[in-house]
This record gives sequence, C-alpha cells and structure tokens, in this order.
Amino acid sequence: MRALVFAVASLFPPAMGLVAQSRDAVARERSDFLSWLTTAANSPLAAVARHPVGAALRLGPPDADIPLSGIGEHRILAKGRTLVLETPSGSRPVSRDRPIGLGSYTLYLTGPAPGTALTVFGQDKRKAPPGYHEYDPTLVFSGPLLPPGRPGKTRVLAANGTETEATEAGSIVLNLGAPARLRVLRIASGGEESELEIFFRDQSNGQGTYPAGRFVSLIPLPNGHYRLDFNRARNPFCAYSAVYPCPAPWRGNVIAVSIRAGERYSGGGLQAPPAGPEVK
Amino acid sequence: MLAMLIQGGAALVTLSSPGGPWRAVLDLAGGPLPFAVRIERRDGGWQGVLCNGVKCQPFSKVRVAGDSVVLENADYAATMTAVLRGDSLVGYYNNIGSNGPRTIPFRAARGRWPMTRAPASLVGRWDATYFQDLGTSPRVLEFRNGSAGIEGTLISSTSDYGPFSGTASSDSFAIGYFDGSFVYLLTGRLKGDTLRGIFHAGLRTQTRWQAVRSTGASHLTPPTEITSADTAEPFRFRFPDLQGRMVGNDDPRFRGKVVLVDIFGTWCPTCHEGMPGLIDLYRRYHSRGLEFVGLAFEVTGDTAVDAPLVRRYRDKFRIPFPLLLAGTNDVEGIEAALPQLRGAGAFPTLVFLGRDGRVRRVHAGFHGLAAGDQHQRQVREFEREIEKLLKEKREQ
Repeated sequence: MRALVFAVASLFPPAMGLVAQSRDAVARERSDFLSWLTTAANSPLAAVARHPVGAALRLGPPDADIPLSGIGEHRILAKGRTLVLETPSGSRPVSRDRPIGLGSYTLYLTGPAPGTALTVFGQDKRKAPPGYHEYDPTLVFSGPLLPPGRPGKTRVLAANGTETEATEAGSIVLNLGAPARLRVLRIASGGEESELEIFFRDQSNGQGTYPAGRFVSLIPLPNGHYRLDFNRARNPFCAYSAVYPCPAPWRGNVIAVSIRAGERYSGGGLQAPPAGPEVK
Repeated sequence: MLAMLIQGGAALVTLSSPGGPWRAVLDLAGGPLPFAVRIERRDGGWQGVLCNGVKCQPFSKVRVAGDSVVLENADYAATMTAVLRGDSLVGYYNNIGSNGPRTIPFRAARGRWPMTRAPASLVGRWDATYFQDLGTSPRVLEFRNGSAGIEGTLISSTSDYGPFSGTASSDSFAIGYFDGSFVYLLTGRLKGDTLRGIFHAGLRTQTRWQAVRSTGASHLTPPTEITSADTAEPFRFRFPDLQGRMVGNDDPRFRGKVVLVDIFGTWCPTCHEGMPGLIDLYRRYHSRGLEFVGLAFEVTGDTAVDAPLVRRYRDKFRIPFPLLLAGTNDVEGIEAALPQLRGAGAFPTLVFLGRDGRVRRVHAGFHGLAAGDQHQRQVREFEREIEKLLKEKREQ
C-alpha cells in the first residue's frame, strides 16, 4: 500500500479534459470578473462620467465638461500625444491607464490620441452585476478560422468603449439551425497579447441579454481550429454604466436564433444603436 | 478499484505540507508552460520563489490555510490560488489589468523537472520570422544547455524576453518564461534545416514563426536605429533627484564630460539585469571623464510613490551616480520629459552624450546575460563608443 501511495502521489495532476476545463474555467473566469466588477476602483459599475479629452477637457465646476461636486477647476490638456493635468497648484504630465486620484474620485485616461477619453470613477454604492446564464455545453463550437476576404485594419470600439485599431482576422461559420458567418477581429490586449474577438447580436438581445450585442473571444485549439464558447459571451461596458459609448454592431454579425448563454442583462429601455460605421 | 486506491492514497497524503519543490505549469490554450515553484516554512510563516530554470524570484507573500495555497506577486497584482491534494496543486493564476482580471489554469506536482538537454541540432543561434496578420517581424532565437538543461532566449530588436527553460527531444522543444506577469511559451519542431513553431503569449495569443540557422548577418533592426535624437543642440534634461534637488544637463558635474543617460524604470526587469554592467562601465571609465545619470520613468509619476522605489533600486545595486525622477513609463511620459528623442519607448535606453553635451548614439533596449553572444557584443560596443567619445576634445 505504501509503495502504491507513493506511485500515485508522484503523478503529475492531469490537465482537465476539454469540457471540464471549459466549464470549470468559465466558472473561475466569471468569479474573478464578478469580484473585479464589485470591488475594483476602475470597475465600470463605479463609473460616474466619461468624456473625450479632445484638445482640452475641463472638470470640477458646475459649468465644466465634467462637473464634480467638491472639486475645483482642473483641466486635462492634450499636447500632441502627451496629456497634462492642470490643477490649481500646478500642472504635470499624466499617463493613460493609470489611476489619478482627485478628491474622492479616481480618473483614468484610456485610448490612444486622438480618441483618448477620460473616465471618472466614484465611491457611490454600486448596482449589482447582471450575472450569468447557466453553463450550456451545447453552445460550445469549434471550427477553422477562415481567412479574411479583405485583409486590413479598421477602427472599432472595444468592449470597454475605447476606440482602438483592430485587424481583420477572418470569419468563423456556425450551424445554429441556419448557417451563421461571424466576422472576427484581432484586438490588442496589452504587450504581446491580443484577442480574436466577435461582437455579435442574437435573438435574445433585449430579452435577458444586452440589447446592443455582446463580445465573445475565440480560443485556439491544438489542431489549428478555434473554440467559440458562447458561455463566455460578455457585455460591453455600456451595459454596466451609461457613461460608456456602445459599439455599433459589426457588419453581418447577427445570429438568427437566441443565444441564452454567457452574461445576462436585465436593464430595460435601451435600444441598440443602428448598424453603421464602426466608430461613431 | 484503481479509483478507490487513488482516492485512498490522496486521502492519506492530504494533510501533507506544501513545503518543498514543485514542478508547475500554466495551461495555455496551446499547451503547458513549464516553470518551478519552491515553498518553504520560515520564521513561523511561509515563503516561496518562482523559478525559470536557475533564475528565481520571491513571491511577495505565501498564504496557506487548510488545503488552500495562495502565492502572491504584489508587483504585478497577480496571485496563484490552488488547492493542495496530496502531492498536487491545482488552481488558477490571476492578475488584474485595467480591463479586468486575466485567469489561466495552473497545476503543479511535487518534485523538480527532469533535466533535458537541447540536442546539438538545436543548440546555437537562429534567425526567426514571426508571421502576423498583416506582415512579418524578425526575432532571434538562441538555444544552449545550462546547469538546468535546455535554456533559450528570444530576442527582438529592442530586448530579450527573459530566460526560457523547459524540455526538448531530438527534434522538438517547449520552453517557457513566466515571471508572474509575462506569460510566454515557445514551441517548435526541427524539420530538415528549418525550425517551425508557435509563440504563445498569455492564455490564447498564438503567433506562428519559422527560423533558419543564423548566417551571422544582421537579422534584427540595430538598436541604434530605433530611437533617434535631435543632435543640433545639447541634450536637455532637468529633474529632481531623490533628495528633491533639481539636477540638469548643465550641472557642473556633467560639463565637458562624456555622459551616459540611462532611461530606466524600477518596474523593468531588464533594467535590473543591465544595471551591474553599467556600474562596471562607470567604475572603469569615471576617472577618465565618464559620468552617468539615471532617469527613472516610473508607474505612477507620483513622487511619494516613486521615490521610495527608486531609492530601493539605488540601494540594491549601490548605484554611485545620480538617479532622477523623470516621469511616467509610457511613450507619452518619455516624450513629455525628453522632447529631443523620437521613437523612444524601449526600457532601458542608453543615450550617449559627447563632451559637448550632444547626442552621439541612442541604444534602445538591452540584451541581458540570457542573450549570450548578443550580450557580449553589446558590452563591447558600449566600450568602443565610450573610448571613442572620451578621446574627443573638450569643448572650450
């Protein structure tokens, strides 16, 4: 028995099987994301204002671009690609994607020039995150990524409402009762990393899922194909706070059936923006 | 029957300690990224290190409660959370970015990775081409055998990606680098005289590449052609030192001297790796008229946060030249602070100033010891440039 225990104990724990890995990994991703939504200073649930920086942005007084209670006049100036924060006591360069404390508020500048936007996060009580549909293993697909008809770059709003450059990565074809061809863009996610993203609409939108559509990322498989797991479908940040602009639907990415999987939405009254140019 | 025995076996060892060496992987979409973890009990608490080959760095905190093990790396807001089951750890790596968390499955088994050596057919330097959506870009790969077996380096035009380690067979390899933030895995197979493979970054970014043996001809963009500078005027800088005194290029200590301006950040592992070599250059050439100044570009731009980090960096290396708080560590921060540079963004970047204060050379990036020959060539280039500049006449 002792020898057997040793032999068993020395085994390397196996990678979880693909289905288990999907289900467990999705559960973990959801748990981590919910924790971030409910606790992070820059959670979109804490966003109270957002405005393009343009050449200059005033914040503080009641007549400013972004009025902030209890805050004197501050300005964000764009000088070329450089951003400067002017305060009553002086000015200093500030960086994108870094927290900038301002009284009880936290500011974040996101997106490259000229589309840089300022988001203000507050400390008010947050509303509850929208939650998720039950995991549905029948809404996990795999297949090849077909090459793009017209390779090139385009500008889109990413899930976080930031205007970003994306590369045409191709399309993936699913059979969901009727064939659906979904366009895939590669969107940089920092450093050497990027995501193959699909922004899609389906017949559940406005009836339990976000009216404007949702994002889902492709996962590469060892055989060169990709897994499309609709249980990972997630809302654009405009679903959490009306301060974020909503991405316009991507050309053609409409699924003719309901995809009741992934992130829910129970808010009402929001109309999806019309299909059109990707960046308003 | 087997399942019962396994269950019984696991139950017998569940109460064991997490202390000791672990061979670990992150399960990326394209395969396991190997690294090592070592956990030990010390002073009534737990400590641990994360290792790539022989290079290890400490976790900022190790927490053990019941069968839960949490390994934290505060620098990168990263944690590995796992459940201890007998001789295995199974859980997730997680770090927080500005758009939310990044989660990757993690697992480990007790013991050390068996040492595998790179076959002779792989050892050496390869010129690689990355195939991206809209074009290609060059990299250099180097493989060698060290005390922990196969080691590799992946070099871009501006830096290396850290010390890779892993496994190899007669015609294929899988080597990785994971420091708590960067998640890199390089896999490949040799067929004929061509290496083909995939570079994996993070959970699911994959880039195809192929490589052939280096001919010795230059394959990467030379580090002196990445960042350019205005050479018509003396190079201007003026920033507070760690005591809050303003120090500028017109300071008497720099007048008539050859000056090396080191653009660095305490958050930048490559800068840490390069600093001992810079101090060595300073000690060898200072008496002949070489001065150094370090310009720190930190994460927050807030002196209260940045100054203690830079002070710790100075004390760690016993840096004998001034370090100034120059700005934030992004392209905009550098451009705002040093408007005479164009295309700056590699950390570290070394700006060589002649005795007249004008820029003679800008060397973007640094190839660390892991880069082998590339590192040695770079040191010799620095020495040659310094010797040349020291011989220039002083400006009257």
